[in-house]
Amino acid sequence: MEFNIDDLPVLFPYPRIYPEQYAYMVDLKKTLDAGGNCVLEMPSGTGKTVTLLSLIVAYQQYYPEHRKLIYCSRTMSEIEKALVELRALMKFRAERLGREEEFRGLGLTSRKNLCLHPSVKREKSGTIVDARCRSLTAGFVKEKREKGENVETCIYHDNLDLLEQGNLIPNGIWTLDGLLRYGEEKKQCPYFTARRMMQYCNVIIYSYHYLLDPKIAERVSKDLSKDCIVVFDEAHNIDNVCIESLSTDITQDSLMRATRGAQNLEAKIAEMKDSDQEKLQSEYEKLVEGLKGLDEGRQEDAFMANPTLPDDLLKEAVPGNIRRAEHFVAFLRRFIEYLKTRMKVRQVISETPPSFLAHLKEYTFIEKKPLRFCAERLTSLVRTLELTNIEDYRPLQEVATFATLVATYEKGFLLILEPYESDTAKTPNPVLHFTCLDAAIAIKPVFDRFSSVIITSGTISPLEMYPKMLNFETVVQESYAMTLARRSFLPMIVTRGSDQASISTSFQVRNEPSVVRNYGNLLTEFARMTPDGMVVFFPSYLYMESIISMWQGMGILDEVWKHKLILVETPDAQETSLALETYRTACCNGRGAVLLCVARGKVSEGIDFDHQYGRTVLCIGVPFQYTESRILKARLEFLRETYRIRENDFLSFDAMRHAAQCLGRVLRGKDDYGVMVLADRRFMKKRAQLPKWINQALLDANTNLSTDMAVGNARAFLKQMAQPFSSKDQEGVSIWGMKDLRRHQEKMAEDLIVELKTAREEEERERKRREEEERRRLEEERDRVSDYEMDEDDEAEMMALDARIG
Amino acid sequence: MARPLDPLGFEDEMCPVCKSRKYLNPDIVFVFNPECYHSMCLNCANRLFNDGPNQCPHAGCNKTLRRKGFRSAFFGDLSVEREVDIRRRVAAVFNQKEDDFETLQDYNNYLQMVEDLTFELVNGTDEKRRQAEAQLAAWEAEHKQDIERNKKAGREADEMSRKRLAAERDAARQRRIEAIKEAEEEKRERVRSREMELDNLAKGITATTAAEPATKVQLKRRGQRGGVTEPAVPNPAAAATAGMGASEVERLSIRGLKEKPKAPAPQGPYDPFGGMDFAPSRYKLHGGLAHPLMEKYRLDRQHVAGGYSFDDFAARALYEAFAGLGVFVEDEKEVGSGSGIGLSQETTMAAGIAAVGDPDRMDLD
Ligand code: SF4
Ligand SMILES: [Zn+2]
Ligand SMILES: [Zn+2]
Repeated sequence: MEFNIDDLPVLFPYPRIYPEQYAYMVDLKKTLDAGGNCVLEMPSGTGKTVTLLSLIVAYQQYYPEHRKLIYCSRTMSEIEKALVELRALMKFRAERLGREEEFRGLGLTSRKNLCLHPSVKREKSGTIVDARCRSLTAGFVKEKREKGENVETCIYHDNLDLLEQGNLIPNGIWTLDGLLRYGEEKKQCPYFTARRMMQYCNVIIYSYHYLLDPKIAERVSKDLSKDCIVVFDEAHNIDNVCIESLSTDITQDSLMRATRGAQNLEAKIAEMKDSDQEKLQSEYEKLVEGLKGLDEGRQEDAFMANPTLPDDLLKEAVPGNIRRAEHFVAFLRRFIEYLKTRMKVRQVISETPPSFLAHLKEYTFIEKKPLRFCAERLTSLVRTLELTNIEDYRPLQEVATFATLVATYEKGFLLILEPYESDTAKTPNPVLHFTCLDAAIAIKPVFDRFSSVIITSGTISPLEMYPKMLNFETVVQESYAMTLARRSFLPMIVTRGSDQASISTSFQVRNEPSVVRNYGNLLTEFARMTPDGMVVFFPSYLYMESIISMWQGMGILDEVWKHKLILVETPDAQETSLALETYRTACCNGRGAVLLCVARGKVSEGIDFDHQYGRTVLCIGVPFQYTESRILKARLEFLRETYRIRENDFLSFDAMRHAAQCLGRVLRGKDDYGVMVLADRRFMKKRAQLPKWINQALLDANTNLSTDMAVGNARAFLKQMAQPFSSKDQEGVSIWGMKDLRRHQEKMAEDLIVELKTAREEEERERKRREEEERRRLEEERDRVSDYEMDEDDEAEMMALDARIG
Repeated sequence: MARPLDPLGFEDEMCPVCKSRKYLNPDIVFVFNPECYHSMCLNCANRLFNDGPNQCPHAGCNKTLRRKGFRSAFFGDLSVEREVDIRRRVAAVFNQKEDDFETLQDYNNYLQMVEDLTFELVNGTDEKRRQAEAQLAAWEAEHKQDIERNKKAGREADEMSRKRLAAERDAARQRRIEAIKEAEEEKRERVRSREMELDNLAKGITATTAAEPATKVQLKRRGQRGGVTEPAVPNPAAAATAGMGASEVERLSIRGLKEKPKAPAPQGPYDPFGGMDFAPSRYKLHGGLAHPLMEKYRLDRQHVAGGYSFDDFAARALYEAFAGLGVFVEDEKEVGSGSGIGLSQETTMAAGIAAVGDPDRMDLD
């Protein structure tokens, strides 16, 4: 369908539109017009992606700036889904407009997924694929080849150089699959095609990390222009992604390997000194000039990249005492030895970067400044030495990155040394966590650089938490309700078991047999009643294990087994995917299954349980984080001190966003239906923190239930859902045709007119009144100038105060 | 310099004299003598050197060692230990700061020169080492005063930063304690209000009317706490700038070294407002102000959570209400000649008089 939002013509590739989709578009447009940021919460299963794409593409094509869209998603399958949607949209547009538009859309994912080289692509691990690819494609490899040396290169990569740069691939939307096929056909590398074409694309779809992880972002995303529109989809976890991208853990093992790396470097330098002195010399001269001279070298094949370097650092010259290669390596060795010594301590230490630096300086005479240049200096050295087996130097690079970060940021980071894995462990296994506490640091370059950043998800409540944590301003913050012609999902809060005893997973009661039994009964009842699939979420693996073994002893699992197959998520990805497969089969063939999983595990984040795959989701307990973790504690303290977010507020927010994620898993569209059960006494108080669309559907009558009441309600609900329901019934209510949309627009326009009118009238009245007042006051004052007096008390007090000052 | 086989040097250190290992004897302590940086266990060191100087037991080492010189290492790798010892000596002599140089480039060249020298001392051949040693001594003799001065400054800076870190740590601890107290207080409050509620119920007063004020009180308190002032931390950065007192030394032959400016007389911490006092002079702020429109926000958790404080609002409103009183636009006009403030004569007068009530008291402002 086609319609206009203000002056902007939008082509929407479906004949009907949901009211919330329309509202979403209006807000998006408002944000883009204003050139600001927004946080939008759109109920899951209401076609968020296609809505977003249709509006932004319309916007791109209509206005002369043709702003580029950078769409970030989490997983490869989500990227592929978005690309498919985009392709359908463009096809629809071509049909409607009667011509193909000049438009190019590409997705980017890791080499592992896009490599075509017959032997490289068979490598199992992504880092090895990266490393092997680099050794085939690095700049100096090419140089050597040109000089006639016999070095191995990748033909897929070489072929790219034969093509016209900026036109490596024809216009159109390329899904990852399509890109692979095209690459195979033309014998060109899909990965580098996408990388090099990024500047020439209208739409780029890739994973968060390409923008947020400073180590990658600098290489991949640095050429994107300022007016790009950046979208973070499924962004409810974005703060954690930010934090993880800047945190490192250093272990004894990695230090040992870093030492080895430094020794290798030393040997290489000695070797090069004998054979190729000029190279070292020319690097040295460039460094004397400052890092800028190296800039040409930072191309796509840069081996290692640095964490966020402030611009001024890039412009400054490398400190004199690490300019020479051998000096720098000795410097690194000293730093590593220092870290090793620190690791020998047998008590927990938490330290701020300044205090770490002070101690470091005292014992090793390492100053802050050269430390800051560590990562950059190492990159340059590795390039000069033309190293190919980069994998061996990764631990060394980690140490260098850590050095740079610790010397760059005084605030927002903390070093925590934990000598033992757990409190009960006897053998030390020290880990030095260098943890970022401030999510705003990693995302700051994004906000600084791009004018419009859109943060959106199905569950991103409370909205104001995100601007606060990530430290940005918004133009629009909106949460949309879900319009439904019939209530297609039933959220409930169960607070009591059938015996009226309250249920909760709080620490005091979580292992009491009565509570466990009550949860068991809840599970059995719902397993009996729910058709096909059912998903159960626990707060943690630990608790899941203990409760499962207790249920086993109580015979509850046997009871469930009668109705459904029982499958369990484990931390092992392979096992879990096997369990999921079995689960899906059982759901499809009518046996039915229960999947027991964890609210912070893989299942709760990326996997949809639409239709028969999930008719009931049961959330056992509030999924709080493990608060004894020192890193979490440090972060809580930081949030409290810096952003004035209280610890309990944050913990509860965090728990509820995970709970909402879990609930959202079962409802993936308007024709879908499902029961959502929150089983914990404590959910009663946290109800307001649920996303608007869930909270709105949660009637008071469905809160504070006991098991049998919940079962009764659910039974009635499921019976109703089993009635035939045609899409006709939804029309005009939860689905708009053209006519409904027009009516809505007219109404909005009318409302606007009325609003404006009343506002104007109001203004007019106000102005009149003010004028009148002013006139009267002036008159009065003229009469009274002489005998104006202050309130006596005031005057007395003022005199006293003034006297004191005087 | 030979490297130990176990680069981590964690578990399997072995005493080369008595062959006991850390693995078998976890309490073993290793010591070395900076004469030759050969390590051995404490027992052996005691045994061998108790009766006065003796030769190092390491094969091929013919240094004579004394018991007194032995100490335990900070680093696992003794070559690094030695390097750091040398650096300590070098750093004590070459202690120029970036500010001492004309340009960054000069400073960097200086740093490299020092590093080169250090490198010779650490890794050079005997010949080179002697040379470097001589250079070091020469430099020290030549630049004695400079070195002394920088040493003093460095010590002061260290002291300062140590103090600052300690103060920060204290402040953080203080805040942590406060936060805990606050949370406890709140919990107590909640319990108390619940009890009150129950009492009231028992007495037959309806729950809603009784419970509300309690929560209100709680929220209000929280709002007030939002503005709790943090414990004052002395600002050492400001004080540090004052500490740079040094007499002028005669110009030395380091390229690019800056001429020393006369040190300014030490001042107190910089006060950007020149001693102006911001305490309101015309009114006093009493707590407990209220405004019907703001009441909603005062109770709104979402507002309060962000640090919103009604008292701030009240303070600002009052400030704005009184701002400008006692400012005479006419007078200002004369000063800022023709800034074109379009106010009629009479309003100015009226406002002026309104502000002070009595023209004679103008000069007090
Ligand atoms: S250039 Fe492309 S095809 Fe060749 S190894 Fe690298 S990723 Fe694989
Ligand atoms: Zn011994
Ligand atoms: Zn010896």
